[in-house]
Amino acid sequence: MLFDSFPFVIFFIIVTSLYFTIPYQWRWFLLLVASCYFYMAFIPIYILILGFTIVIDYFAGIYIEDATLSKRKILLVISLVANIGVLSIFKYYNFLNYNFSYILHGFDLTNPIPYLSILLPIGLSFHTFQAMSYTIEVYRGNQKAERHFGIYALYVMFYPQLVAGPIERPQNLLHQFREKHMFEVERIIDGLELMLWGLFKKLVIADRLAIYVNAVYNHPREHTGMTLILATIFFAFQIYCDFSGYTDIARGVARVMGFKLMMNFNRPYFARSISEFWKRWHISLSTWFKDYLYISLGGNRVSVPRWYLNLLIVFIISGLWHGANWTFIIWGALNGFYLVFALIAERYKLDVISQMKKYPKLNRLMQILITFVLTCFAWIFFRANNVSDAFVIVKKIFQFKGPINIENPSIMIYSIFSILFLLLVEARQEYYRGSFSFFNSQNWIIRNFSYALLIILILLFGVFDGGQFIYFQF
Amino acid sequence: MVNFSMEKIKKSPYKYFALKCGIFFVIVFCLDFTIGNTLRYFYFKQQSGLEYRTTYSIEKTMAAVVVFGSSKANHHYQPNIFTRELNLSFYNAGRDGNFIFYHYAVLEGILKRYSPKIIILDFTRSEFSRDQNNYDRISALLPYYRTHKEMRNIIELKDPFEKIKLVSSIYPFNSLFLTIAAGNAQFNKTRMFDNKGYIPLMNEWLRSVATDTSSATYTIDSVTMNVYKSFIADCLRSKVSLYVICSPYFIKYAHTDSSIQLAQQIAKENGVPFLDYSENSTFIDNSKLFADPSHLNDNGAKIFSYMLADSIRKISNGKFP
Repeated sequence: MLFDSFPFVIFFIIVTSLYFTIPYQWRWFLLLVASCYFYMAFIPIYILILGFTIVIDYFAGIYIEDATLSKRKILLVISLVANIGVLSIFKYYNFLNYNFSYILHGFDLTNPIPYLSILLPIGLSFHTFQAMSYTIEVYRGNQKAERHFGIYALYVMFYPQLVAGPIERPQNLLHQFREKHMFEVERIIDGLELMLWGLFKKLVIADRLAIYVNAVYNHPREHTGMTLILATIFFAFQIYCDFSGYTDIARGVARVMGFKLMMNFNRPYFARSISEFWKRWHISLSTWFKDYLYISLGGNRVSVPRWYLNLLIVFIISGLWHGANWTFIIWGALNGFYLVFALIAERYKLDVISQMKKYPKLNRLMQILITFVLTCFAWIFFRANNVSDAFVIVKKIFQFKGPINIENPSIMIYSIFSILFLLLVEARQEYYRGSFSFFNSQNWIIRNFSYALLIILILLFGVFDGGQFIYFQF
Repeated sequence: MVNFSMEKIKKSPYKYFALKCGIFFVIVFCLDFTIGNTLRYFYFKQQSGLEYRTTYSIEKTMAAVVVFGSSKANHHYQPNIFTRELNLSFYNAGRDGNFIFYHYAVLEGILKRYSPKIIILDFTRSEFSRDQNNYDRISALLPYYRTHKEMRNIIELKDPFEKIKLVSSIYPFNSLFLTIAAGNAQFNKTRMFDNKGYIPLMNEWLRSVATDTSSATYTIDSVTMNVYKSFIADCLRSKVSLYVICSPYFIKYAHTDSSIQLAQQIAKENGVPFLDYSENSTFIDNSKLFADPSHLNDNGAKIFSYMLADSIRKISNGKFP
């Protein structure tokens, strides 16, 4: 059940209505049942996998809290191995096996290990990381073990953030399941508005841009460098709006019911450096890696070369988290390399645009543009269907040749206008926060009209299915 | 008095919320109704473009020979040749990226008005495979839902919630804003040249023939197959001479396509001629007749149209219903 589908609208209305109707002591049960139903709408049997890790982590949490120091470590390792094991089998087994076959092939040997024909459980990486954060926090003594099995299960399965995050921490979420959330009109409307804005980003911007991006990236060899540059820029906005739109809907759904989920995106394309970009992009995952991996590796409290290595390791694993493909690993490594390079440049005072400092606004603009270009370059590897395609794209892009393919002008015009609309809204939020706003106007008529217009724009320009397409004739 | 009532409503959060939602939905409804109906007016006023050709096919054409099919139909059937060879008027109702659902709905619209003498259905490889895109592309027919009852069964195949979505007046015209604007503008008439629905491709595909070794097995969609059967049945009921054609590809396939086999068998059972030109040697040995591996260029289309018109004349002995 996708957030932008009609069945979800019905599901949301029913669950939310029931949520505010039943006594609050039973709300956790309603949410747990609803979350199970939501999860089982994809592949019902996979609920058993989720159930397995929930049971392991629930008991691990309790035993870790009660155990002596040496046993605590063993229990934590058991919990982490169970979680990472499930993730490895479903997400990385075939990838590892494929690479093993490739190596054996080099020695003229065949790989006897069979491939698994299984579908990846939906949201596996998200809820696995959320579950791991619980046992780690209990181990570190920052969180008391949850004794109520239903509430712990709900912490892992809470349906708004089950599939695509944000990856919550137990300190922020667990206690909220015990709080009594009243029917507060203003909060509910805030939540609905956030959902609507998320829906707009997903349907009007991300899915629109995807039409061009998919048509180009699925046949990169047939396109010119200029077309590939445009498709890459489009992809940068597509992935942002797709992911942040989905997060907005998740946060909106939770907000309607009185839950406060963490912010996951903070206008990342206004970042002035790669390090700032990662403080604004997928915040819940970046902070997860910082708290549980980077710091565990020693963070920056080690020798300088080791510090750089730590950064690279974290980003490579972060790449692998996004998908079992070398393209994601290269994407992660590139981002790690950017950060290391920035640190080296800072260390040796290599300021390439120091002259610009006389013109602060121009300097800021240049920093934003350079960060955006570097991010876009990395996105090529993230989006390409395979490594070979990615290198073809990079090669063609650096030729800067050829006309831009505009097979369907209206899709192109909608795409460009949707990006401009997004940039306008976000630039206002970034730089002119105190100024007049249609969406946050104190005047309820203006506010109502603004959101009504957003619905009209979704109806007019949203992409609801695969009915829109580009048929490139090469 | 009004203030007093408002204060009372504000004290009950449920009523206050219902009131706010009510006001919001009235605003949305008014905007949707006004904008949707304006778009409807201009949609049917178009004088050129893809949507205009669909409307023309459904509501206006009186041609004796009508071609149905996807982009292959659009680019392969040259009207002047058919008109000259068969001495019958001709219209090409093909539309890019649309398959049997679209063809059947348009056929229903046409048969409601008159019975053409000949219908040519261009059948593509894998046409019966289960593909969600085929259902999604029914969206091309949404503007006709309100006014063409005969198409509703097909349109409702798109999604179980389609009926509810169509409560909105804007939804049928989703993503058509610029297309409608262009269709009402003069410049668009010359932008994309079409001759009675036929759109010629002028480039040449100067590459060697591709070989497709991909697996021939896929899930057959029974709904799609049944719509194909209905297409044949309705043509026969209306005493139309139907020809199902598989037009040329510049691809050599390692496996026989199960959709083509099934379509051929169904056509045979109904006494409908099925002519397969997909690997015809006149074309597959000559890349200059193609614009890309799936489409003939204008020169190829002319040769193919002569060939097909000649076959139709021979099969029918020059006698049409």
